[in-house]
Amino acid sequence: MEANFTQQIRDKAEELLEKGIVECVIGYEIGSDSFSARPVFIYEPAEAERLVFDNTCTHNLVKYLLDKKGKPTAVVVKGCDSRAINLLLSEKQLERDKIFVIGVVCPGVVEWGWNKRSEQLQNRCNLCRQHTPVVFDFLIGEPVTEEPPAEFADIAEMETKSPEERDTFWREQAERCLRCYACRQACPGCYCIDCFVEQLDPEWVGIKIAPEENLMWNAIRAYHLAGRCISCNECERVCPVDIPLSLLNRKLEQRVLDLFDFQSGMSEDTPAPLITFKKDDNVGIGE
Amino acid sequence: MIKILGKRGLESWLSGLLQERTLVAPKRVNDLILFSPVQSVDEIAFDFENTNLSPKESFFPRTDTLFTAEPKNDDIEITPATIEQEVVIFGIRPCDARGIAELDGPYLTEPADSVWAQRRDKTTLIGLSCTKPAPQCFCSSMGGAPNDPSHVDILLTEVDDGYAVETVTKKGERLLQAVELKESDVKLSVPSCSTTVPAEGVVEAIRKVFDDPYWSRLADRCIHCNICAYVCPTCYCFDIRDYSAKGKIERIRTWESCQSKGFTRIAGGYDPRANKGARLRQRFCHKLLYFPEQFGPIGCVGCGRCVVSCPVNIDIREIISDIQKLGAEVGQGSN
Repeated sequence: MEANFTQQIRDKAEELLEKGIVECVIGYEIGSDSFSARPVFIYEPAEAERLVFDNTCTHNLVKYLLDKKGKPTAVVVKGCDSRAINLLLSEKQLERDKIFVIGVVCPGVVEWGWNKRSEQLQNRCNLCRQHTPVVFDFLIGEPVTEEPPAEFADIAEMETKSPEERDTFWREQAERCLRCYACRQACPGCYCIDCFVEQLDPEWVGIKIAPEENLMWNAIRAYHLAGRCISCNECERVCPVDIPLSLLNRKLEQRVLDLFDFQSGMSEDTPAPLITFKKDDNVGIGE
Repeated sequence: MIKILGKRGLESWLSGLLQERTLVAPKRVNDLILFSPVQSVDEIAFDFENTNLSPKESFFPRTDTLFTAEPKNDDIEITPATIEQEVVIFGIRPCDARGIAELDGPYLTEPADSVWAQRRDKTTLIGLSCTKPAPQCFCSSMGGAPNDPSHVDILLTEVDDGYAVETVTKKGERLLQAVELKESDVKLSVPSCSTTVPAEGVVEAIRKVFDDPYWSRLADRCIHCNICAYVCPTCYCFDIRDYSAKGKIERIRTWESCQSKGFTRIAGGYDPRANKGARLRQRFCHKLLYFPEQFGPIGCVGCGRCVVSCPVNIDIREIISDIQKLGAEVGQGSN
């Protein structure tokens, strides 16, 4: 699989750059530990041979498209990542005709860190419902036709805890938070020019790196992603102090699925329910 | 002759120390190893490569109060923060101790930073040599060594039947009073880092490549989070803000980093480092050019934390090599 996927990506990238269809191809190359993937930006056809695809290609590269606005750019996406393209198209952050999507039917990525590699699939990949990209211009691999139903065992387990236990759990997690904002920086749905956390007037969250402020930061960020998070789990992967952010995001994902039968990023035409206003919405005011 | 402290002896020594001082030591928290105050020796992790976060936090906390101010008799009374607590840090690696010593440059140069100076004064460092340097470690290339005693008060090196003890400073000597040490003729093995980095001459090289497009290409990949700065033992930038409550003002200092958008934004909104390439270049120029120019040593001790923690593999070892290559090319071109 891997060698074949890699070759197809290289060939396509070379062709796109040679024909001048795109200026840059964003994909994966082998990183400094000599075996795990990292993002790479290819500008010259001859450099296309640096591109690879294997089961360490975990990064969601769609975020980088926001730095390439207006410039024809190709990007390698897995199924989960591809939903971020639809999210950003629906929110008018990308122009469809400026991007070329190289979709890969993803068999899942493994748990790994720098110079450490396990053969175990990431938990999010065990739960994956989107092996085949939902948007692509060129597809690599055989589309998977049947996807499993949504499963939220982790959330159900969390809900067996009492509110006090959950409160203690989240306060402990928040205490470790460094406010490094890696979660935000990695997230394709976080693109505000001025993030609320850095606004001064009003100051929504103080600058103290302390439990109360950290809790506020993580909670508000999660709410801003409600019904928009596409479950790539980049926030949790990049967190340097292992805060299980997926528990927040997946809880909200489950609620949105229950309430609106909506899964984010499945189409570029349907914006997220919580950022949509309809005149006949029953908002429960003045009844 | 080498002086040895048995494992039991170490435990009872540390147990004694934590009765009257705060003992900060590596502690396992889920899959992380973090420096943390411990209440008992059982909480200490002895088997670790290095902690996920550096011990700089004991001197430069992520959030700190510098002073409080309140109106008094038609004037303003300012009360600077005072640090009373005696602290012992156990298990600090030689690279990290060197990092703290390097930060004495910016923080103790007059006008000295009062809270840094007080904490340095009240803290004793018990170092632990690296017997198995990790794959990301490169302290030997940055002027350090896995068993470098230079910047700790006491250095312990694990041996078969306990720890070889090297008393480095008077402070260390005081801590070891009344501790019984055995004499031994055991030979200490000298470990070395598996990675070498061509750091010699990097100051000259990076100066030549300041305007190279290399930085903006590298910044393509960088997501501009603050992880590298926050895990780094020598990154010391901060933000300051005043908060008022009940008629009192508190001046707060928190960690900040040159990678943040807006870190250098000035009144009127102008940001001299608005683009990603300029921000990333700042990180490396600060460590490899400005810091040595101002204070002497290179501002990187080779702990390798940024190498492992970067979500997109921006690897300082690779960057130093690249700079040397690019710098050499520039040198040839100008001849």
